Amino acid sequence: MKTLFVIAWRNIWRNPGRSGVLLMAVVAGLWAGVVTVGTMNGMLNQRVDYLIDSEIAHAQIHNPEFLLERRPYDYIPEFDKLVEILESDQRVAGFAPRVLADGMLQSPVKTAGVRIRGIDITKETQTTSFHENLVDGQYLDSDIRNAVFVGQRLLESHKLRIGNRLVLTFEDVNGDLTSAAFTISGSFQSASSDYDESHVFVRVTDLLPLLSPDSEVYHEVAVRLHDIALSDEFVRDISAQITGVKAQTWNQISPELSTLVELGGVMLHIVTLIIMLALAFGILNTMLMAIFERLREIGMLLSIGMSRAKVFLLIMLESVVLTLTGAVTGIILALISIRRFAETGINFEMFADGIASLGWDHVVYPVLSTQEFAGIIVIVIVITMLSSLYPAIKAMRQNPLEVEK
Amino acid sequence: MKNHIIKTENISKTYNPDTVPVHALKAVNLEFSKGEFTSIVGPSGSGKTTLLNMLGGLDKPTEGHVEVDGVKITGMKDSKLIEFRLQNIGFVFQHYNLIPVFTAKENVSFIMLLQKRSKKEMEHRAEELLNKVGLGDRMDARPKQMSGGQQQRVAVARALASEPKFILADEPTANLDTSSAMNLLDIMEKMNKEQGITFIFSTHDQRVIDRARRVITMVDGQVHTDEIHKESSSTITENDSQRIDTE
Repeated sequence: MKTLFVIAWRNIWRNPGRSGVLLMAVVAGLWAGVVTVGTMNGMLNQRVDYLIDSEIAHAQIHNPEFLLERRPYDYIPEFDKLVEILESDQRVAGFAPRVLADGMLQSPVKTAGVRIRGIDITKETQTTSFHENLVDGQYLDSDIRNAVFVGQRLLESHKLRIGNRLVLTFEDVNGDLTSAAFTISGSFQSASSDYDESHVFVRVTDLLPLLSPDSEVYHEVAVRLHDIALSDEFVRDISAQITGVKAQTWNQISPELSTLVELGGVMLHIVTLIIMLALAFGILNTMLMAIFERLREIGMLLSIGMSRAKVFLLIMLESVVLTLTGAVTGIILALISIRRFAETGINFEMFADGIASLGWDHVVYPVLSTQEFAGIIVIVIVITMLSSLYPAIKAMRQNPLEVEK
Repeated sequence: MKNHIIKTENISKTYNPDTVPVHALKAVNLEFSKGEFTSIVGPSGSGKTTLLNMLGGLDKPTEGHVEVDGVKITGMKDSKLIEFRLQNIGFVFQHYNLIPVFTAKENVSFIMLLQKRSKKEMEHRAEELLNKVGLGDRMDARPKQMSGGQQQRVAVARALASEPKFILADEPTANLDTSSAMNLLDIMEKMNKEQGITFIFSTHDQRVIDRARRVITMVDGQVHTDEIHKESSSTITENDSQRIDTE
């Protein structure tokens, strides 16, 4: 085997130009593929992490009717009991009750539809990191009465400034329209410019008297767990303990997020597969050329007594050694690049506006998990073996009489 | 008691039997004994190379069979035949056919490696054989760094390395100049005479024919003449030995 390996290695470098070109193609292909996939992965992961951290949290609890119609009076029943359960549950790291209303925002410039989120500042801060999106002014923890925290883009489109007032109109729990003036305390910029233009945040203590003057009602409770993996088990338990509520995990609330995560894994393998399939034809072509040039030599090997199995193995080794040398180099370079970019990030600033409108961050930190890395290696090995098979079989089936031609 | 190492019984070879049949060999019956130095000669298309291929188990006859040392190799399974060639038959080809990425010593050792001999034995025997063919100082040279004559001498050393029962040489001098051809023939003749190694050549090189002690002439796929020469036309002299060592 050692000698076969030596022959294979020397045969590879018999035509340094040709082998070098193939090697470079494999290195470049794998490097570009893995970095691209790592970058896509990073974008997807950032999007998912961002949404979980800043808004969705690990689980949410609603009145199931609210999820269908978003009517103000479809609030969570037995809220106090729910709070008791959440406070005693060891898995819960924090929870944030929210009052939600869909309404109109009226500024001196124009009127627009908005989603109003009434939050408990202390609990919200313990549960999500949305407050970190503050870009100007103050968060809702200011002394301003009826403070509203709005998106930077909304601020710009309505030509408003910090300290300006605007009017929010919405339906209360009795079905009546109610309006109130709010003062802009600060502005935020999330990863999605669309979100920034369509959502406003107010204190629950300011919103509740307007929406439900007679009782304390909540439409949503976002729950942050100590471990995201406990989400499924947690929502099962909550649904069993309280009737009339629907507890959902982050991926049930936002199926597109779990699709994104799955898509990331699938994309990784599809991109690697496409690159390797393209390279497979290069390997096939190079090895077939190498064999056609060496028919007489292969005939000689069979004549003097080298078994067909060993001839097969020799050609397989040549292909596999050449490709894997390139693949390992390409993957190592890609891992170095990914590690470097994971620290510095890849800045897509020139596309920042377009990316932001899709809800993505323009600075991407590539990532590649061990599992994904193993998947790439498996694909590389399988494709290399498959593309080497035909030349090796062709060589193995040569007639020893080729030696005389 | 048999004294032959190769025996052919009525071997025939027909190419394209269903379309335009070409009868390369027609019922050839021959026997070769140990220690022969035989040339198979004839014009192009006479069947001499086809016959050599049959003797070496590289090709199969359409009819008849070939026996090597009492073993019928015709009809032998391909994998067994390859193994049989490895252990019993040495080949020298017209185009030398050395492995270009190997040194002279590695080329000679390679066949012993296929025979699974020990590293020590391989090295010792490869060096010994290369010294015998006058290439003791070219052991680490690769084929590209050697002349045609030197490459063919490595090929002879390789053929001998496996300790075969006989060596088949197809036009071994066809690509060599006179000096190299004479030198190669000197080496092979010396080995034949001193060690009793059997050589069978397919050739139309008069220099080879002149040295042969038996000359089989093929015409149209049949044995036309089979003559024994009591002594070859040239004998190895002291000067020849020096030529082997120094060239």
